[in-house]
Amino acid sequence: MRRQIPLLLTFLTGVAIIIAFFIPHRPFNEVQDILIDWAIIITGFALLLGVHSLLRKHITHIQRKDSGWGFSLILTFFFIGVFVAGIISAFQYKGYSLTPGSSLYFVYDYMVIPLSATMFALLAFFIASAAYRAFRARRLNATLLLVAAVIVMLGRVPIAENAFFKFLTRFSDWFMFIPQMAAKRGIWIGIALGAFAMSLRIILGIERTYLQ
Amino acid sequence: MKERKGLIIGSVIMIAIFVLMFIKGEPSKSIMVWIAAILTLSIYSFLYKDNVFYKFAEHLFVGVSVGYSVSVVWQNAFIRRVFDPLFITRTYIVNDKFSLYLFLGIVIPTLLGLLMLSIFTKKQAWLIRIPIAFVVGSYAGMGIAPSFQANIFEQTRSTLYVTLSISASIMIVGVISTLVYFFFSKEHKGLLGKTANLGIWFIMIAFGASFGYTVMARISLLIGRMQFLLHDWLGVIK
Amino acid sequence: MNVLLAFLFLIQQSPDSLQSDTTKVIEVVRPAPPTDVIAMDTPNDEGESIALQWTISKDDGDGLNSVILYNVFRAPSKEGPFDYIGTVGAGRTGYDDQDVEKDKVTYYYKVKSQTKDKVESEASNVASAQSFPQWFHHGRWNYLIFGVLFTFFFAFYLSRAKVKGTKLFIRKIAGLDAVEEAVGRSTEMGKPVLFCPGIGYLYHIATIAALTILGKIAKKTAEYETRLIMPNYDPLVMTAAQEIVKQSYTEAGRPDNFNEKDIFYLTQDQFGFAAGVDGIMIREKPGAIFLQGVFYAESLILAETGHSVGAIQIAGTDRVTQLPFFISACDYTLIGEEMFAASSYLSRDPVMLGTIKGEDTSKVVIIAVIIIGTIMGILGGLNIGPFGTWFLNLVNWFTRG
Repeated sequence: MRRQIPLLLTFLTGVAIIIAFFIPHRPFNEVQDILIDWAIIITGFALLLGVHSLLRKHITHIQRKDSGWGFSLILTFFFIGVFVAGIISAFQYKGYSLTPGSSLYFVYDYMVIPLSATMFALLAFFIASAAYRAFRARRLNATLLLVAAVIVMLGRVPIAENAFFKFLTRFSDWFMFIPQMAAKRGIWIGIALGAFAMSLRIILGIERTYLQ
Repeated sequence: MKERKGLIIGSVIMIAIFVLMFIKGEPSKSIMVWIAAILTLSIYSFLYKDNVFYKFAEHLFVGVSVGYSVSVVWQNAFIRRVFDPLFITRTYIVNDKFSLYLFLGIVIPTLLGLLMLSIFTKKQAWLIRIPIAFVVGSYAGMGIAPSFQANIFEQTRSTLYVTLSISASIMIVGVISTLVYFFFSKEHKGLLGKTANLGIWFIMIAFGASFGYTVMARISLLIGRMQFLLHDWLGVIK
Repeated sequence: MNVLLAFLFLIQQSPDSLQSDTTKVIEVVRPAPPTDVIAMDTPNDEGESIALQWTISKDDGDGLNSVILYNVFRAPSKEGPFDYIGTVGAGRTGYDDQDVEKDKVTYYYKVKSQTKDKVESEASNVASAQSFPQWFHHGRWNYLIFGVLFTFFFAFYLSRAKVKGTKLFIRKIAGLDAVEEAVGRSTEMGKPVLFCPGIGYLYHIATIAALTILGKIAKKTAEYETRLIMPNYDPLVMTAAQEIVKQSYTEAGRPDNFNEKDIFYLTQDQFGFAAGVDGIMIREKPGAIFLQGVFYAESLILAETGHSVGAIQIAGTDRVTQLPFFISACDYTLIGEEMFAASSYLSRDPVMLGTIKGEDTSKVVIIAVIIIGTIMGILGGLNIGPFGTWFLNLVNWFTRG
């Protein structure tokens, strides 16, 4: 029973969604929107599990005074602080806690945004180091990858203005549109088929690892 | 060891440049810009090695972002979708009549969500499988049509040509050979093996091109951060 | 859209222009009306909607070029009275009347064009239609046919595997064969194994595929008594992963070695997650790193940091834009469909393998469509027989829905 009920539920919801896709009539045309709405509520509760896991880990660190417990304290402190700021902002701005001027907006603008942007910008260094290593690999596949990368890169940023770079720009555009696209299309079609097979296996209950 | 030395010299030079700019420029008077700048530099210090500044920024980042998402979820899921419609706006009462359909539309997902908390009990922990099964089942069904449209119909249609130009031939050969590479149920030998090999060449070329295409976009991200540091914070660039 | 147009219309009526209108006597020139108005039931909906189409007025974009709007009127009978129901901007050739009160009742429509000076044209011809609800979406035959065909292939090979017990072959997938080697090497070095499921949710197909790979890895780490660390982005993935790993440890006969706290939640922020995982990589120095699931821009941040700590890395994702980075930074990469095939590959379950065979047959169908379609296109391009029309029909068929 502990297995059958969940598997039956997966089957029913999956099949209901698929049937609803073909019927443009009420209530079927509403099924998808309703289920998405429900999923937002359900996953909202799931976040409580996440917070529990994170805080339990760090509060144990603090209690045991493990090495680096100070950082756990910082994490816990900022979690509580921002959460409280979010609740206060929501009350202040009648549910729209992200209104410019609210304290949650402040946190977002001066902490989340610069931290995210900086992490994202680390990619400039990492893409360089990855390219450098690809350059040293002496296998045919790596060479193909590198040659294509250099062609497109130079084509996108013409170093000099002459006939050669003009040609390279046009060539790299062609390269993106034709050979690059060809392989991507093959991969996409494969992914769609693989995902379809996987979805069917999930709906039919053949694939059930996620329900251990 | 050599790398280490280079990095130390590099960081010293960087710090010197920042100090010089600090004296020369017009540093921001906003404390928030200072916080943002210090956090930015703390993250960059990771490139040298793990250190106190990075650890601080990392733990702050995790704490802040979880606090942020909890308060957003609190508002979007609990208040706006459960608490308000149940107790304040009472959306299930239409023209003074109680609508069971609308009422269950709020209560069922709430109960399913509450089943998540069964994980904290020892005996009834299996109940968490019910909301999981529900979410996975619905999304497994929902994903199929968009994936067919974007990945099969759109891609197959775009591979059909009316003239067999060089580009068209390359496209068709590329798509087919890549698909052949993903054949799992036959051993890649003989003609099949050769086609699959051609497929992997196409894949590598495509990945290379895509890599090269992204490089500049990533460098412009770095330029964006530098602009923040030099313009917003230090005020060297106007 | 209509609201926007109405707003634009209001802006046009600024006070000064109104003033000048009243002081000057303008010769009123009526624009030409739209022609050939047709009304029909809006296809593939639940009824209560009628679609109108017309040919634009001669003065729309041409002629006097004075038309800026079309006003639509509706009446319950041919004689009227016609009530105004809506407006669309110049250049538009259709209107959807979404407020039809009753299905299966005839409504009559006419359309007038209007200039910016609020001068309306004569009425167009009157068109009539009834609305009907539909119980099947006729634009989605393509989904139904392909879906049923592919499902048939799966079912066919699945039942053959089940009933006849036919042995099905599956080709080598290097990335999956390397799992054992990676965990083994990590054990030899006395380092933990890190599994990162990326920033997908439990309902992403790629995340579920990643979890089946996790089950296999957990069995190995249980056998070798190596620590398995897994930071999570989605709490549901975390819960599912805890159960999967616990199960693997029980199956390997070492349930006591399972540590639930090593499978923990980090954050649901993309780069916050990347920062956290980077920190874990640097501090725990894992010997093997598995990056399996849904990844976006953080893919390379994680893979390069993993490389810098000297770990053997096996990646896999269905995000095509991130694959190049995994290919260049990791030792093995499962490309798209290879990842979805993992559960079948690892379990060697004949039923699972049956669906793989179904996938391959579906690929043959798609390859055939491409080849036949192109032959039709080329013959059509040379104006041979009916191939041109067939080709266009085929292309249109794929764009429906």
